[in-house]
Amino acid sequence: MLQSLTKTYGNASSVHAFGQQARAAVDRARREVAALIGARQNEIVFTSGGTEANNLAIRGLAEAAQQQGRHVITSAIEHPSVRGVIEWLEKRKWEVTRLPVYENGIVRVADFKAALRSDTVLVSIMLANNEIGTVQPIREIGAFIREGRDASRNIRLHTDAVQATGRIELNVDELGCDLLSLSAHKLYAPKGVGALYVRRGVRLIGQNVGGHQERERRAGTENVPGIIAFGEAARIALAELAQRANYVKELRDYFEGQVRRKIEDVVFNGDPEQRLPHLSNISFRFIEGEGLLINLDLKGIAVSTGSACSSGTLEPSPVIRALGHNDELARGSIRFSFGKDNTKQEIDYVVEVLVDAVARLRELSPLNKTLVTR
Amino acid sequence: MAYSNIFNDHLAHPRNVGELENATAVVEESNPVCGDRLRLSLVINDERIETVKFLAYGCPPTLVSGSVLTEMISGKTVQEASEITKTDLIDAIGGLPGRKHHAAALAIEVLAAALRKP
Repeated sequence: MLQSLTKTYGNASSVHAFGQQARAAVDRARREVAALIGARQNEIVFTSGGTEANNLAIRGLAEAAQQQGRHVITSAIEHPSVRGVIEWLEKRKWEVTRLPVYENGIVRVADFKAALRSDTVLVSIMLANNEIGTVQPIREIGAFIREGRDASRNIRLHTDAVQATGRIELNVDELGCDLLSLSAHKLYAPKGVGALYVRRGVRLIGQNVGGHQERERRAGTENVPGIIAFGEAARIALAELAQRANYVKELRDYFEGQVRRKIEDVVFNGDPEQRLPHLSNISFRFIEGEGLLINLDLKGIAVSTGSACSSGTLEPSPVIRALGHNDELARGSIRFSFGKDNTKQEIDYVVEVLVDAVARLRELSPLNKTLVTR
Repeated sequence: MAYSNIFNDHLAHPRNVGELENATAVVEESNPVCGDRLRLSLVINDERIETVKFLAYGCPPTLVSGSVLTEMISGKTVQEASEITKTDLIDAIGGLPGRKHHAAALAIEVLAAALRKP
């Protein structure tokens, strides 16, 4: 990547030698990213990140398919970058079915089958949720769509795999998806790069126009250094996938065991088995997430929360609400995310700080104390 | 904007936390929009606030507004305390982002209600 900033700094669309060096490096990266998900090189479209990949996928498919129908099926727990685009379609006279999730945070295939209509043209359901990590039954949904596919009924399946990138094995043929969104920074590459997998033969209308890059699907000069880093990160992630997954799962399970033992009145959100290995989402009763977040931050620990305050909205996490939990549990939810470079000593430190902060905030809370007004 | 050092200090070490058995006034109010909640317990003797404790649930500005307010009113006369405005409280906290001003407003409302008690 450094070399692309100092030596091979050509524009990958230029004909001269500098440009061709950059082109070769981008193509190499494209092969690595394709290999990570079991795709072909020419099925990868580089983007500026997961959000752009989701925009391109849904808007690009919707535009291509709107003559066949205007019904889309999605889930109630999509990332804002999918939720927002679906709402955008809804304002343009598309009809939307949002599949519920149950207490385990997973959609049911039976609900999906029941939601299918003759004018359904697009399905967009995330592979794994970004707040609670639950893995959705994309494989089953993909298989069902493929079985029913014929000339008159050509439903396309998009899955947002950003949160799952590099965390679990991804294979587009096993999943049976037509489009899949990826983000580079989830693989420890720099921010500002992502990709959309587009299955060969799928018609997609580019949403950035005015250039021939990425086979007309994404006009604009490629972010060559970012793409090179993405390719290298994908190569390493694929090689170390199982090792990294086992390691972070061990840390995560150890952390949850400690929390369960040392803190009362906690709710572990999402299915305990069918979820990504590196995420833990916990609601702490009687307290609000952002107070906990800042207390941890002051001790050098970075977490995120479903609290409304943090997201800048008035509504607490729609994901935790979708599990059937009340506002208090949604506001008190914290996402802990573990990485390959975390250690068990760090987990012990987090637990120590957490026990103390939760106790202090609960002592402060009126929710667990009867009110006698005078 | 980043929170002030005063803010972080009060969040990590809130002052005057709890309730008072001999309170002469106990008031709790909540913000129905975002669910923030503040409870204030006061002992008022001879028109002077002798002791004050608070409990709070909600975003950090709500917790800090409660804590800073208790320091501001402790030992003050009822008259002096009733003259404290939302702006005074925000200044004492070292500033709050505009969208968090409602936290200071809630604290001032609870104080006013407590001071109105006979």
